[in-house]
Amino acid sequence: MIQYAVRRLLLAIPTLFGVTLLVFGMVRMLPGDPALTLAGAQATQEMVERLRQEMGLDEPVHIQYIRFVGDLVRGNLGKSLRTNHPVAAEVAQRFLPTLELSLASLLLAMAFGIAAGVVSAAKPYSVFDYTSMVAALVGLSAPVFWLGLMLMLLFSVRLGWFPAAGRGTLAHLILPSVTLAASSIALIARFTRSTMLEVLRHEYIATARAKGVREIWVVLRHALRNALIPIVTIIGLRFGALLSGAVLTETVFNWPGIGRLMVDSILARDYPVVQGAVIVVAGAFVFINLGVDLLYGIANPRIRYE
Amino acid sequence: MARKVLVAVVSLVFLGIAGLGQTPKLGGEMVIAFGTDPEALDPNRITSAPAGMVLTHIAETLILMDEQLKLQPLLATSWTVSEDGKTVVLNLRKGVKFHDGTPFDAAAVKANLDRFRTATFAFLLYPRVQTVDAVDEYTVRLNLDMPFAPLLSHLSHNFVAMLSPKQLAALPAGQFVMDPVGTGPFKFDKWVRGEYVRVVKNADYWGDKPYLDSVVFRIVPSDATRLVLLETGEVHAIMRVPPMDAPRVAKVRGVEVVNLPGVRTIYIGFNVTKYPFTDVRVRQAFNYAVDKEAIVKEILGGAGGASNAPIMPLIFGYTPQEPYKYDPEKARLLLKDAGIPKGYKVTFHHPTGRYVMDAAICEAIQAYLRDVGIELELVTMEWAAYLAFMNKPVAESTHLMYMLGWGTVTLDADYGLFSLLHSSQWVPVGSARSYYKNDTVDALLEAARTIADPGARKDLYARAMSLIWKDAPWLFLHYEGQINAQRTMAKGLVHHPREYILAHKAWIDR
Repeated sequence: MIQYAVRRLLLAIPTLFGVTLLVFGMVRMLPGDPALTLAGAQATQEMVERLRQEMGLDEPVHIQYIRFVGDLVRGNLGKSLRTNHPVAAEVAQRFLPTLELSLASLLLAMAFGIAAGVVSAAKPYSVFDYTSMVAALVGLSAPVFWLGLMLMLLFSVRLGWFPAAGRGTLAHLILPSVTLAASSIALIARFTRSTMLEVLRHEYIATARAKGVREIWVVLRHALRNALIPIVTIIGLRFGALLSGAVLTETVFNWPGIGRLMVDSILARDYPVVQGAVIVVAGAFVFINLGVDLLYGIANPRIRYE
Repeated sequence: MARKVLVAVVSLVFLGIAGLGQTPKLGGEMVIAFGTDPEALDPNRITSAPAGMVLTHIAETLILMDEQLKLQPLLATSWTVSEDGKTVVLNLRKGVKFHDGTPFDAAAVKANLDRFRTATFAFLLYPRVQTVDAVDEYTVRLNLDMPFAPLLSHLSHNFVAMLSPKQLAALPAGQFVMDPVGTGPFKFDKWVRGEYVRVVKNADYWGDKPYLDSVVFRIVPSDATRLVLLETGEVHAIMRVPPMDAPRVAKVRGVEVVNLPGVRTIYIGFNVTKYPFTDVRVRQAFNYAVDKEAIVKEILGGAGGASNAPIMPLIFGYTPQEPYKYDPEKARLLLKDAGIPKGYKVTFHHPTGRYVMDAAICEAIQAYLRDVGIELELVTMEWAAYLAFMNKPVAESTHLMYMLGWGTVTLDADYGLFSLLHSSQWVPVGSARSYYKNDTVDALLEAARTIADPGARKDLYARAMSLIWKDAPWLFLHYEGQINAQRTMAKGLVHHPREYILAHKAWIDR
């Protein structure tokens, strides 16, 4: 298993290298110019030219790329064109809040999603099943910014239970993580339900019941354990999506995360920050996928790593 | 007249919320929320109003432009401009120290001004100052290569604030100041990027000491979230309330909406080198075809005003022109005269989310022009792409009609007209994206830069603007108003036309 993990980590190197090439190229293919964007509509040519020089954008693109990768290998993500701050510091400062928010949402999503899915599958076509599946449909389809604002209006403006926006205490974390978790709860719930229903039809479940195992143990030990592999896959994918897809939640709740940093940097054409942020998120993705693959073995010992 | 009225309105706004007659309470932290993180806090690098607003609490300028747009002494106590307009002598305030204890003197001013001259963004000072002499400990002399009348208002701009020479000397090459050390009533404390900037009271301030212990500038990009934070009382004041939300916010208990004029003019430019805008009748017809008053009233919720000059009324040099009154019939006749067939198609490029209600306004213009037989094809562009598209030299330009705004932050007509309408300023050199050229206008704008007498300058601008108005290189739209909102407990906040909320003399009524 360790050998497998090491091999996977080595394979991540070309993947991330591909990411650098893609993001470097894509961000430069966007129309627009960082110097002009920073200088603004009221700038003179002289200002824009000076700025372009300061930013090192007067060099040929391939030289810029070689320099970027060279710095990257040495662990240097470069400097923001807009603020001149080291990109590594800026990305690190924004990655932690996003990680915090994503983990909180993931926990909520797993707890509520799996629970709702399991109960719905155990008692299919019951009132609980219908209610939770309709709620899941709503959770899936409600736009994040709308949901966020509604929660904010209810729990901050009307009831005054939680602060409306910003980051700091645990109370600040609740509304954004619920908002971000909503679609994942829904997805995991529906997915768990259908996988469980399928597993519950298997003969070994009938055998377990015939042996007189109590229904709760049939569901939890015999069915859920076997349904977990696809659920773990979905959860892993969701985690990646939460990490990179929190930008709307971050904007509504003024959460200083990496999604907002990325969008702001794209709008400002701040190439080094976009590159740095994408590489960090891509790296996180690779790790999460590896983690999920390793979890398979724990969830189901029949899986072997070769 | 209009200027007086507006200034009166502005003053009323300030008096109304200043809480005069009450005794200010000491202490506390005031929180002000706005939409974008400052790009830096270095006068050499900043271009945005939020950055200027934070910086002005920490670092001071030589000359102050107060909220009634009058020049007042600040770090300079008095100044004289020589007869030929080529020398400006500033007498400096004595006994002022930077936050790091460095004395403020002529050497400090010279260090700062010399730095601006080599800076990327010191466009405000840049044009004419050639050298700066420290005459004695508290006197500096600026030597210009030719007279530049707007210089004093330029020196009042927050982008030319004075920083400690000790800090500047210690700054590594290629770096910008992120933790400014100035002489202001507040000292820089902390900047968490994307979250907030915090400043704390400077107990050794040379002037009236601030009442507040600290001020936090919170960065909250979402309009809706800023409103909620104000309603819950988590912040004391917010900038840029969307026009459609203003009436509702005004009804929230403990909250008041503050309307004030801005200094940004919004216009639709025509590329006058391309058919059909080579014909002045077409340009005038477009001006007659659009009901600007209705746009301000219905789309902007009454914040701002319809343009009756290329600059807005608060700017020095403003003279109102005879408005192009909404008259679709006249527009149709002019278009017919110009031989424009019915249903003629024109492409119209515009940004979205940049100016207040920009896309909605462009759609309204589309409807107005359809009414006079012109089919506008709207092309909505993301800001950075739009800027690059719009910054082409005339030979490569492909735009016909475009929307842009211009903030005359120096509050002097020179900055509001020269870069936009003088023929030496066609992009990419300056910001003239209509490629307009009128030799008389050029001569008038040049002359108005170099004579010192305000009355004579105003005359020159009046003549230039009347020609520009008739030539109509733009569809003159409106100037933006600002809608801010604040808790009533926040007293003494100043809402400044430069798009600032200032807490220098603010206090919290708990």
